[in-house]
Amino acid sequence: MTKKKNRSMIQRRLIPTYIFLIICSFISVFPLYWMIAAATNASINVARGSIGFGNQLFINFEHLKTAVQGTLWSSMGNSFLYSIVQTVVTLFVCSIAGYGFELYHDKGKDKLFGILLLAMMVPAVATMVPLYGLVSKAKLLNTVWAFILPGISTPFMIMMFRQNSRNFPPDIMEAARIDGLAEWKIFFKMYVPIQKSIYAAAAVITFMNAWNAYMWPKVVMSDNRAQTMPMFIANISSGYTVDYGMTMLGVLFCSLPTMIVFFVLQKQFAEGITGSVK
Amino acid sequence: MKRKLLSLMLVGTMAASMVACGSSADTTDNASKDAADGAATEAVQSDDENTLTVYAWDENFNIPALKAAEKDYQDVNPDFKLEIITQSQSSDVEQAVTLAAEAGDYSTLPDIVLFQDHYFQQYVTNYPDAWQDASDADCDWNGLGAEKLSYSTIDGKHYGFPVDAGTAIFAYRTDLLEQAGYTIDDVTGITWDEFDKIGKDVQAKTGKYLLCMDGSGNDLFYMMLQEEGVSQFKDGKPYIKDNETLVKVFEVVAQLAKDNVLYLANDWSDYTDQAIQGDMVAGVFNGNWIIPTMKQVSENSGKWEIVPAPTLTGKPGYASNGGSSLYITANCKKADLAKDFLAYTFGGRSADDGQSTTYDEALLNGGVIGTCAAAAESDVYQQGVDFFNGQPIYADIVEYTQNVATVEQSDYHYQARTHLGTALQNVLDNGYTTEQALEEAESNLKFDMGL
Amino acid sequence: MTLAKKQLAAGWLFLTPATILIFIMSFYPIVQAFITSFKSGKGVNIKFADPLTYNYQRMLQDVIFKTSMKNTFLYLIVEVPVMLILAILLAQLLNNKDLKFKGIFRTCIFLPCATSLVSYSLIFKSMFATQGLINTVLQNIGITHENINFLGTASTARAIIIIALIWRWTGYNMVFYLAGLQNIEYSVYEAAKIDGANGWKTFWYITVPLLKPTIVMTAIMSINGTLQLFDESVNLTSGGPANSTITMSHYIYNQAFGQGVGNLGYTSAMSFIVFIMVAILAFINLKVGDTRD
Repeated sequence: MTKKKNRSMIQRRLIPTYIFLIICSFISVFPLYWMIAAATNASINVARGSIGFGNQLFINFEHLKTAVQGTLWSSMGNSFLYSIVQTVVTLFVCSIAGYGFELYHDKGKDKLFGILLLAMMVPAVATMVPLYGLVSKAKLLNTVWAFILPGISTPFMIMMFRQNSRNFPPDIMEAARIDGLAEWKIFFKMYVPIQKSIYAAAAVITFMNAWNAYMWPKVVMSDNRAQTMPMFIANISSGYTVDYGMTMLGVLFCSLPTMIVFFVLQKQFAEGITGSVK
Repeated sequence: MKRKLLSLMLVGTMAASMVACGSSADTTDNASKDAADGAATEAVQSDDENTLTVYAWDENFNIPALKAAEKDYQDVNPDFKLEIITQSQSSDVEQAVTLAAEAGDYSTLPDIVLFQDHYFQQYVTNYPDAWQDASDADCDWNGLGAEKLSYSTIDGKHYGFPVDAGTAIFAYRTDLLEQAGYTIDDVTGITWDEFDKIGKDVQAKTGKYLLCMDGSGNDLFYMMLQEEGVSQFKDGKPYIKDNETLVKVFEVVAQLAKDNVLYLANDWSDYTDQAIQGDMVAGVFNGNWIIPTMKQVSENSGKWEIVPAPTLTGKPGYASNGGSSLYITANCKKADLAKDFLAYTFGGRSADDGQSTTYDEALLNGGVIGTCAAAAESDVYQQGVDFFNGQPIYADIVEYTQNVATVEQSDYHYQARTHLGTALQNVLDNGYTTEQALEEAESNLKFDMGL
Repeated sequence: MTLAKKQLAAGWLFLTPATILIFIMSFYPIVQAFITSFKSGKGVNIKFADPLTYNYQRMLQDVIFKTSMKNTFLYLIVEVPVMLILAILLAQLLNNKDLKFKGIFRTCIFLPCATSLVSYSLIFKSMFATQGLINTVLQNIGITHENINFLGTASTARAIIIIALIWRWTGYNMVFYLAGLQNIEYSVYEAAKIDGANGWKTFWYITVPLLKPTIVMTAIMSINGTLQLFDESVNLTSGGPANSTITMSHYIYNQAFGQGVGNLGYTSAMSFIVFIMVAILAFINLKVGDTRD
């Protein structure tokens, strides 16, 4: 009885917190609601900022399917392909690097790490022309490699894995070595299985960045058959006359995958991040 | 289940990264290079001898025009195929040419590109090797509008095939004019001062602006200057603070804005969505490509009419804004086919001379009004348009096209616009005098030009 | 090979792919950019400038570059602290074990950063348009009496960019703080409560110091992101009105690709300066964050 009362008192004291959080959540989610509502409206109503639902969803969808030579589904497919390949490759390259920097660390490697951190600060505009030259000379334009190359190895990801590697007990490594396990086997058999949550967190972040990437893909994926969802959206949302209803439906399609990935990996994401800020 | 998924992911990780490391760390890796090679060349070039590739933007405007051209040309060459590669905007095409040139490899370009007129001269100066001279194409160059061709002709060589005329229209809402006690005749052949007076009345009676300008394009200055036959440049140098016409035009614009006759939209979307589609204006002055945007507001159908614009002196004003042409790139190995195709479709020939359906279809499907004088004789161009109260606006616009004055162009055309836009903001918001503002604009423009 | 040598080799091997990639994808281009920064002219006419530091001297006289620098630092000074404090606050509130619906709140607040850039700029532009939702609401509740051109007025346009940034990135940073808070033992709070510390005191004297490493990390990320801010300036305001919201990266981009300019030498020089600025700020940040050792 008293316990129950106590609990309700705690909840009552939390009312301001709830109100604050509800307001913040509302502000965060409202534009997304607006996006969904807009997808069901005719262009002119969207332009005029109406916030109710309309009856144009199917018409908008029909228009969307034929837009940009009917590349909606191929753009979606490309975005999935590139983002997944990007995620997989990035996770591999950055995790072994983070592992290497932390568990084999010595003065030389620490210095190298400091140098690599500088790469985070290189402005994207500065590197665009030289990078394009590289990719073009390697004949990689309009291929998945052109898309992923600049994003595979990022100081941020290496740092994340490095921080997480601190909870990997060195004793296990020693024991494994005494058992005669090769160094790379230690990584795959001992390290990877217990670091699932950091892999999940890194996957969410990398996938999100890859999915939403726009500037670089626009430069190297000029063919419509290679274009990504954000490029598809850009193609339908600029021009003398824009069909906003259709565009917002496209935007909705473009936003769903990243949201789903976050929903699904949410718990592991939080755990993974926890390790990286220790 | 989860574990399985994860291990699957990791196996994938390893496999993919082996390949990735191979091809990235060592770009000479043959296997991956060959595979990629095929994909890359296939992307913008076609091996088929009857297929041409083209970069273009705007699904509702240029692309329907190109599709119409493809269909038209198939009458004489049934195997012909035009592969349109959609870009999000004109700057994407410019960026593609810049990057290809800087990388020293034009093989990444398509056969043909749609290119904005104002930028073309600069791209010939900077990257002369990127283009092919098309002077020997079988076009009726005289029938394409001298002003339009002045953008794409360099040292007497024709590079471009005009698609749309940027010819400006001045459209008024007759119903709103009426509410303020005016008719369409009262706004025909007037000076900007008279326009300002009428505009104030319209604002007072109806709460609408009589004019609006896109604040990221700042095109009003250019159009008003062109009406007077004057440029922001003289002999390749900025001609701003000592340019009496420009000073007058600038003062008119500032006055219109102060009097709430002119709405200054922040950018393109504010201009189209708020000002025009949001029904804030009683007048629209821009390139004729603005018509499809206006038509979105279907409840205003029949209330609009088009006349030549006001000028400083009251003579009818003609100007052009925007517009683009098709250019053959250095990478096109089927130049003869490209020239034949473009001359047949956008070559400005009259109906007797083999002109067929491109211009008509481009107008019907995309609202694209060509620059070809002969095209205006067709039924499609002569028809009355309900939205404009039955006025045969297309034929009118082609007629306007022939009256647009040719003015000095510059590689720094858009910078000049931007600096004038900034000058206007400085006068309206930051308390500058006209003189100070224009002085600063000129010095900033000179700075851009490295003068 | 001895075992020790083998281990050494393995250690280096693990870093090799990442290191090579960073060198090719980031350092090679920045070195290229550095070389280009000494050139002037465009397209086929590009050549080494005379004097070599021409582009750097030019920058000192460039009024718009200075404006863009001012704007960028304004965003930095206002946005980063507000966003990070709000994020810590939210994390602290969500870390309460008595709170219900934590998952829902967390997801809602995180969602903005999962939306694509194109969509969020469209949404914001439309909401703050002259006849848009915000104006309608403000007039209905009687705060204003006529439509305000939010994006067309310098001060409000800057404010909108800051609001948009806070909207988009607070949730992202919050997740990092939430994670950081997991590492703080709950008993520390209990002890504080027994000692009579109130909510604010616990927040300032316990939470913030313990979160220091996380704060340093998020601050570096935010500073870096803000100094290279590009998307919001391009998509929300186009840098206008009259360059009053343009950022450094946006101006640099304009000089390279926008308006057909193609001034790559000058672009490279400016990017190099941005690179140095970011590096200096990150370094200061690390030093300040390191005082406890």
